This record gives sequence, C-alpha cells and structure tokens, in this order.
Amino acid sequence: MAPRSPRTTATAAARRTAGAPLGGRGERADARAKATGATRFVGDLAMPGMLHAALATAPLASARLTALDTAAARACPDVEAVLTAADIPGENLVGVIFADQPLLVTDRVRMVGDRLALVAARTPEAAWRAARLVRAELEPLPAVHDPVAALDPASPRVHEAGNLIRTFVVRRGKAIPGRADVTVEAEYQVGGQEHAYLEPQGCLAVPEGRARITIIASCQCPFYVQQAVARVLGLPLAAVRVEQAPTGGGFGGKEDYPSEPAACAALLAWYTGRPVRLILPRELDMQASTKRHAMVVRHRWGAGRDGRLRFAEVETVLDAGAYIGISTVVGERANVSAIGPYDVPALRVDTRVAYTNNLFGGAFRGFGAPQVTWAAEATMDKLAHRLGLDPLEFRRRNLLDDRRRTLCTGQRLPRPVLARECLDRAAALAGWDEFHGRIGSRGGALREGLGIGLALYGCNLHHGGQRLDRASAVVILQPDGSVVVRVGLTEMGQGNLTACRTITAQALGVDPAAVQVWQPDTTAVADSGPTVASRGAHMSGLAILDAVRRLRRKLDPVAAALLGCRTREVELAGGFAGVAGEPARRVAVAKVAAEMAARRIEPIATGWHRTRARRFDPETGTGAPYEFYAVACHVARVAVDAELGLVRVEEVAAAHDVGRALHLDALEGQIHGGVVQGIGWGTTEELKVDRGRLANPSFTDYLIPTAADAPVIKLAIVESDGKGGPYGAKGIGEPSFIPAAAAVRNAICAALGVEIDTLPITPPRIVAALGDAHPFAWAVEAIKAEPDAELATTARDR
Amino acid sequence: MDVPIGELLRPASVEEALALLADHPGARPLAGGTDLVVQMRDGRRQIDALVDLGALGMCGTGETDGYLEIGAATTMEAIALDPRVAAGFPALAAAAAQVGAWPIQCRATLGGNLANASPAADTAPALLVAEAELLLASAAGRRRVSIDRFFRGPGRTVLAPDELILAVRLPLPRQGDGARTIERFVKVGPRQEQVIAVVSLASRAVLGADGAIAELRLALGSVAPTPVRARHAEAALAGRRPDAAARRAAAAALQLDIAPIDDVRAPARYRRIAAAVLLDRFLREVAGG
Amino acid sequence: MAEARVAVSLLLNGRQRTFAVPPGRRLLDLLREDAGLTGTKEGCGAGECGACVVLLDGRPVTSCLVLAASADGHEVVTVEGLGDGDELHPFQEALVAHGGVQCGFCTPGLVVTGAAIVARGAGPHEHARRLAGNLCRCTGYVKVLEALATAATGKHGDGAS
Repeated sequence: MAPRSPRTTATAAARRTAGAPLGGRGERADARAKATGATRFVGDLAMPGMLHAALATAPLASARLTALDTAAARACPDVEAVLTAADIPGENLVGVIFADQPLLVTDRVRMVGDRLALVAARTPEAAWRAARLVRAELEPLPAVHDPVAALDPASPRVHEAGNLIRTFVVRRGKAIPGRADVTVEAEYQVGGQEHAYLEPQGCLAVPEGRARITIIASCQCPFYVQQAVARVLGLPLAAVRVEQAPTGGGFGGKEDYPSEPAACAALLAWYTGRPVRLILPRELDMQASTKRHAMVVRHRWGAGRDGRLRFAEVETVLDAGAYIGISTVVGERANVSAIGPYDVPALRVDTRVAYTNNLFGGAFRGFGAPQVTWAAEATMDKLAHRLGLDPLEFRRRNLLDDRRRTLCTGQRLPRPVLARECLDRAAALAGWDEFHGRIGSRGGALREGLGIGLALYGCNLHHGGQRLDRASAVVILQPDGSVVVRVGLTEMGQGNLTACRTITAQALGVDPAAVQVWQPDTTAVADSGPTVASRGAHMSGLAILDAVRRLRRKLDPVAAALLGCRTREVELAGGFAGVAGEPARRVAVAKVAAEMAARRIEPIATGWHRTRARRFDPETGTGAPYEFYAVACHVARVAVDAELGLVRVEEVAAAHDVGRALHLDALEGQIHGGVVQGIGWGTTEELKVDRGRLANPSFTDYLIPTAADAPVIKLAIVESDGKGGPYGAKGIGEPSFIPAAAAVRNAICAALGVEIDTLPITPPRIVAALGDAHPFAWAVEAIKAEPDAELATTARDR
Repeated sequence: MDVPIGELLRPASVEEALALLADHPGARPLAGGTDLVVQMRDGRRQIDALVDLGALGMCGTGETDGYLEIGAATTMEAIALDPRVAAGFPALAAAAAQVGAWPIQCRATLGGNLANASPAADTAPALLVAEAELLLASAAGRRRVSIDRFFRGPGRTVLAPDELILAVRLPLPRQGDGARTIERFVKVGPRQEQVIAVVSLASRAVLGADGAIAELRLALGSVAPTPVRARHAEAALAGRRPDAAARRAAAAALQLDIAPIDDVRAPARYRRIAAAVLLDRFLREVAGG
Repeated sequence: MAEARVAVSLLLNGRQRTFAVPPGRRLLDLLREDAGLTGTKEGCGAGECGACVVLLDGRPVTSCLVLAASADGHEVVTVEGLGDGDELHPFQEALVAHGGVQCGFCTPGLVVTGAAIVARGAGPHEHARRLAGNLCRCTGYVKVLEALATAATGKHGDGAS
C-alpha cells in the first residue's frame, strides 16, 4: 500500500521539518540545468542536414484566395521546398475538436495569419525571405469583427453555417426582479490576453523516410500534436512519435496551437526527407497563435435589503475568432463559472460562442472563468455599494459553505467548502478592516484602494471533456535503487516534474534526488489527455500512485524476504524498507532493488487513473460539471494616480484552498506567477486589433509586467482533508490567476469612486472614466472648441 | 537570424568613417544598434552597408569653453552615472536612466537616440531644455546645429546621408545671485519600467529671489511629430509666480505647443491631459519649493 | 557580397576565440550557432525580453541587437561562463535554492543581468529596476528578487546598498 493521505491538518512547515518529501521545499527537479543554460529547448537542437521552415501567411482577415504563385519563392537560393495545400498527403485539417480549420488555405482566408504556403530552406534567413516572395491574389470579402454583431444573421458569415457556434445555459428557479430591492445592470467588455510565454512556438520534425516521424515540440499536449500530425500525413498514430521538449512557458498557449506548427514542420520533413525545425518569430507568434477570449458579459443582478442575492441574469458572448479550436470547451467553463461561489436562488445564464474574423480564441490559464469572474466580482461590488454594505460583508452573506453548498447547476459541492475561510484569510492578510478604519483622502491625485476577487474553480476537465480525463504513468526501479518515472502530462514551468518526483519519492519512501521524471513521449506512456485545467500533478500523480502500488506487489515480497518479515508488514520510508513498528529492522531500498535485479524480478510497473463518471446535462446546464472544486481569494491594494491614470498594485493577499501542498516552492511560485499575470491582464495588457490584425505584436507595445511591477504578495495556504488528488492536493495553476484582475479592478474603482467596466484598465481608460471630473479635462475641451483663437488669447493674455 | 546587410565597414578613425560614408552612398552609421538593428531585422530599413562607429571613441564628457561636451557614442548608462551630467543637467541624467531597460542603456548611445529621431526619444526633451547644440561632421566639413532645428519629423533629421553626430554640446548653466534652478525629467507610460514614453516632459525653471519664474524652458516628447519645446507655455509663465491662475494659463497654452495623435500607445486626448498634468506638477513643485 | 565573412575575435568566457561570420550576424547567433553556446536564448529579437542578455566588457547587453562584428576585440561572458567549473555563480545558486526557476527560458538572461547587479553592488532598492529588462512570465519575480537579495548580500555584506 502507498502511504495514506495524512489525516491530521499538520502544517506544511511541520511536515517539512519532519524531512518528508511532501510539502517540502526541495530543489526543483529541473532548476539547476535551467539556471546554467544547460537545458536544451527545441531551438537549441540541431541535426545534420536540418532545414528551417517558414510560413507564408495571409495579411487580410477575410478574403478569397484566387491565385497562389510560389515560383519566386522556389527560385530563391537555399530553398528546398515550397508546399501548398495540394501537397498534403492526408487531411488538410488541424481543428482539435471540430473540422473547421485547414492547415493550409485552399480558397477562403478567415483570419490574419492563415497559412498559404510552407517553405523549407537551408537557413532560416532564406526560408523567411522566400516565404515573403509567395504571391497570393486575395479578393477581399466582408469581415465581422464584433462578436455580438456577428450573431446577427445579417452579418458576414465566417463559415457557411453561420456565426453562432454553440449556446450553453444554466437555469435555476425563476427570476423575480420585483422581489429585489436593488438591481444592477451592466455590460462588461473583457479583453483578451496574449500568453507571452518567453519561448516562442517551435518544433523539430525528424522523418524516417515516409514511414514514420518523430516530432520534438515545445508543447503542453504531445498527444494532440501526435493526432494532428498523423491526420495531416495520413499515418497511423503509432507511426508518429512526439517528444515534449523542455517547454518555455505555456499557460494554455501551447495546448492546441502547437499542433499547427508541428503539422507544418512534419509536412515539410515528410516531403524533403530531412529534419525540419520551425521557430515562430515573435510577431507572427503573437498574431497567429491563440489568445484568451475577449468576451462581452451582460449582467442583471438583484439583491434584497437583507444583503442576499435574489437573482442573476448573465449573457456572455465569446469571441472565438475564425476557428473553433477549443472555444466551446472554454464556453462550457465560462458558463458554469458565471456567478462564482455564491448562492443565488434564481439564475439564468446564456453563454454563446461566436465566430469572427478576429484573433484566434483559445486556452489560457483559467479557461473562460477569469472573464466571467471579473464581471461577477464587479457586480458584487456594485450591489454592495448600492446596499450600503461592506463588499466583504456582502460576499460573506452570499457565500456557498458547508451547509449551503448547492452549485448553480444543482451539484452538491463536496465538503469542506472553503469560500468563507479563503475570503476571511485574504481579507485579514490585507488588513481590510484596518484599511477601511483609516480616514481615507479622496481628494488628492494619489489614491489608495482595496478590492476583493473571489473565485470558485472546478478542478480538472469539465464533464464535456471527460472522455479525455485519464492519465498514464510508468515507474521503473533501477538496480541501484534510483527510479525512472514517465508520465503523459507535461512540464512547462509549472512544476509537474517536481510534483511527480515528490509524489513518487513520498510513495516509495525514497529521497526525491533518487527519482528522475523524464519529459513525456507518446511512445513511453498511453494517451493521458492534455496538460490543462490544472490537472497535471493531479492526474499524473494518481497514475504514479497506481504504478507504485503495482510495483510494490513485486518489491514488497523481496523486501520481506530480506527483512525476514511478512509482506504486509513492509513499510517504505526514508530510503529504507522496514518492518512496521520495528525501526531497527530495515534495509535500504537500493539493496532491495539490487536483490530484485539479481532475482530477475520485473522492476517496471504501469499506472492508470481515470476520473469517475459524472452526470451533467448540457442542454439544461444541470448536474456535476466538475468532480470537485477549489476556492481562491485575492485582495489587492492599489495606488492610483488619478490624474495620470497610473496604477501601481502595491500588495496582493492571496488565500488558496489547495487541499494539500505537494511542494511549497512550486506552489508559491504558481501563485506568485498567477497573481502577476492577472495584474498584467487587468491593467496593461491590451490586444489592439485593427480589422483582425494585431497592431501591437511585440513586447515593445504589448506590456507584460516587469520585475518593477511585481507587488508584495502575501499568501495563505489553506489545507484540508477534502477530496482531491494525490495526497489530497488540488490544482493551483489556474486558481492562482482567476481572481487577481477582479481584485485589482475593484481596488481601482474603490480608489477612484467610479465604475470601469472595460478590461484592461489602462491609464487612458481611467482618465476617460473620470470624464469632466478630471482636473484638466477643460484644457482638451477648450482646444477642441477653439483650436487656436481662445487658447492663444489665454496664453497671450497672460 | 542574420541581419540583411551586404557589408560592415569598421573604420579606425572619425576621418576614415566620414570618408567611407562619403564613398558609400547607401551606407549608414551604426553605433549601439538598439534601434537600427530592430528596424533592419523587421524590414523597416533596407541598408546595403553599415559603418560601425564602435572603434572611434567619441565617448565620455568634458568641459570646454562654457560647454559640457558629450561624445555622441557615450552610452545612456555612462550618461546616467556621469557626475558632471548629474550636476548640471539632471533632466538628461534622469532621461538616460529611463531609455529602455538597463541592458539597452548599456549599449544605446546619445547620438543614436537623436539620429533615430523618434518623437518619444527620452533624451531629446532634456537636450531641448538644455538648449544643446549638436556637432555634426561629414567629409565636407563640420557644422553646429541647434537641437531645436535638428528634428524634421518621425525618423527624420537634418543629418545628411554622409553626416555623423560627433558630440552634443550643452551650455553650462550660469548661476545667478539668489536664483534657484529646478530641473526635472518625467516620463509617463503604463508600466513602471522599460516603457516607451506616452508623454514625457523635461523642464527647467530658474526662480528669482522674489519667487517669480525668471527663466523657464519646457520640452515634451511623444506629443508631436518631433520632440518639441513648449514656447506658448513658457511665454504664459514668463515672469510670473506659478500660482493657480498661472498654472491654468500654462495648461491652456501648452495645448498649442503640442499636436498629439491617436496611436497604438495612447489616444491624443490622454496625451493632452497627461502633458497638462506633468506641467502642473512641475509648477506646483516650483511654487512649493 | 552576401558570402563575405568578417573575422570576429572575442575573449569568450575566458578563452580567446576567433570566428568568421557574415557581416550581418548578430552576437546572439554567433554565440548559439558558431560557438555552440545555446544557453543564451532568443525570446523576441527586439531587445525587449532580455532572454539573450550577455555581458559585453562586463556590462549586460541584449545580444540580439549587437552585431557580432561590433563585439570584435571585446570580452563576452554568457550564462555558461558565469560559474566556476561545477560551482555556480552565487545568484544561480540562490535562484535554485529559492525556487526562482520555472520554465527556465528567461533564466539564462536573467542570471546574467542578476550577476551584473551583484557585481556592481547595487542596493536592493535598485534590483527590480535593473532587472526590468528581463521579462519572466512564470514566477511573478517574487522568488527571483528574493534570490537576488540573497546573492547580493552574500557577496557584498551590509555595505552593498
């Protein structure tokens, strides 16, 4: 038996002192190699004869391709191949769920960045030079750039069947607006976000003739890449091997999108018979790869004088861009996350997913929940304000808890429901009451505000993706006692290697340094689904525990023989196999491993985990969309320069319901990173889209936070013995992001005394929101009215 | 990926550099490269040959006949740390410390920041308030041009194709009796660091013993096709105490000095308002001094 | 003309090396392609992300904006040259110890800038500002700055600021 989950609520610190791997701060598995530059990312890999790929892409968002001339590109020096749709041996298709996206355009361009042709050349310079020489005749077609307008049947159609991709609903009770004492109506324009992983998209395709191929890719989901490449090349899955390269950040941006560059490189490799590497230049990466969805969220929410919510109506439209990708799945999560961890007796949620000719909407940390949470938390503050209630107190009165734990879909949340705990812990850390006890000055230019963001996160995949919710692991005990672990879920910086190492070490009772977890490879483990939805450590951890359980069926009898005890008395801890209750009788695990080798006992075991089947009716939005839930609360303190609209997030207090901490440094690192990424989304990261073209596709003009923008972050790690993953752990990757921007928004609005319903809240938006109240609004009005005369007079006058 | 150039010429002296520029009509000088290499890489500039100025010296500061002379190849880092710049031209020191991020400041040069002629160039407003002059040279000879006349538009200057900036000369301030000088550079952008100015203001006020503004120079970045002096605002304040009425008149007059546009970084309205705020804050500091 | 090569001599990580490269080769590509030092990364190619930072004559520069030929005759230190054999630079060691490494792609450039901050003896109030040219999307910078404070203190004692 693997060690059981600790039943006490011993603090992580106490367990660390005890020296157990679990909940410790041991050196991350991959840190040393990364800190010395020794880790080889895909751009660092080269092979003899390797060619470099480049893409010719469409500059228009909507057009008909009438002619494609590749002669000039082919004539370029060092060019080995220029391929178009006609050269695809399999299907011209890369859509991960729906068959709406070709790898290469045949007739219709639907977004800026659609691929027209592929080039392979001996140098990257030659490849991109040739790609620019591909001549496409494009006949512009009407385009649609507003997702709400796109749903009007009279709008230009992105695909023949119309622009409404899917509608999701939740219904509960009857909306009775008459019974609410106050009602808030609002329309939130929530902008998208670029992932801005530091490593651009890239892959290396290595063919073995036309029989089979290896892809080494920067990606989150090697099995998605495998399927896409197999389909485009017309190969069986077994003939496509995908190794995940060390991946320089993903955040969702390397979930489905890497299938596209991988299919491009694979096609060129298949055609030329040579290794082909494709690294996207940053500008193309930002233009063409997926983004967090822009959403329009309309609210009508009502509450009573008693401070209780009476009803909520939410209408959300997601801008999917020109292809579905995984937008429907994002819509599913947005739909059931629309009202956060609150109890609302009457509810009506409509979530629609629309095609447009804009940027390609896709997975991004939080997966649709951050946008609706941002809106919900804004409305909660507005209602509290209207009721004259403290926003903290108003939230407390409406929280789901252990007694009132029915989710909007009718699902009963597993206990404990820690919304109150997280809210109160974050508020205390932030000094909520002390802050509001101070006499605040509202007049000066520099103002302070405190704001709350609270989120309920459904862990792992939604019911709709349950067929993918399984994971595979392999554990091999080496003759020297070291351990090889293979899993199907990836490391992209979030710490999955470290989590898997910790779990393995804990389960086998060995030092984490004895465990080596290797990057995923589709030939080493079975399809484990995507590394998304904060499921990496959870699913691979449970698969590892299953593998260790099976391994111990072979290991324990050998240990028992060496120890002279019964098999069921064998315990593993501290690098030893020992006899339960007799600390003196023990033998090193390494010795047991050597004995197993000597006896030729199989030292390898596979593990498997699948989530339990749940019921959910997508037509009515009732049932159990997720297996279990986590709560996250952020309280942000901001300083706003009201005259310049500059925001500085000074401090964020973050309380997270994590189940159980697996590795403290990795856990804290996830929260820190999520908070700062959320601040960026909420304040400076604006995707400026002009007729489908990204006008700021660079780090010069798309501003992510720097070290100078990082706030003080105070953490409350709330542990519990609730239902969760390995040793009770819940995912942290997404909950760490979801409430941050909402907290910042509410803090800014509290500081300024105005409501801003557009994300991101940039300096110009703040100044615009102040309108004529801005002390210098008059100067602009004056020059608009009298461009020269009056001001010249004023100036001369003096 | 290699930058698409045919030739890189590496002269050992200024005279050799000037001769190369005269002989190669398509050639362009290269200093720190922090702007030029980006522009060449993304195809905004097609250049046959580069003349690398790296071996020519032209670095450092020195005082001669009433001027502080700064070599055109002096880096932002060196300017930000230079005690003479800090003492006489604090706005320039502050501006140099805000050009890009530190690794850019260690490479970018003063001459390059000016020759690139971005409306947002951080050092330009500081040099405008210093009333600096540029020492230019070509094979045909040398000339001095006031910074006020140097910029012609975004990316355009009075530099001839074969001409180099050798140095920037800043007249050393004369300290009058009882006078007090306040000089500042402030830049507004959505992020704390490493940001292109949405608006910048360099300002220098000399206050008489009576508290009135005896001398005032104001210059702004990112509010017009070039960095600009704010002559209307200066005139509106000349000889006055910076009281509320004067500040209001200055804010109004400032609007005539600037002609911002809506672009990807900010709308014109925001730039106008932010410019007025920066000026007002400077004047309040002067008044409160 | 495109075939022309220029000779570039560098004191690279303590060794004198000479390369013959095209005139438009960036220092970044010389390091990665010609010298085989792939620790230095390209994240944007526009001098904005800092993944390519190396020390040029002791100062941090974005090697994607330096032409290799311009570095001729100068000293270059990359992430591979910061440590001493198997011994890591104190900032590298502190980053590992503090959990300041996540995806690792920004790390080499960050390590080089951080080492320059430590070498200069910059006080803690300057750390974030001087690191601002090294974008990191994973860590939120918290543990990175903690590690830098540790490394700076270790090297310079209390007098550092």
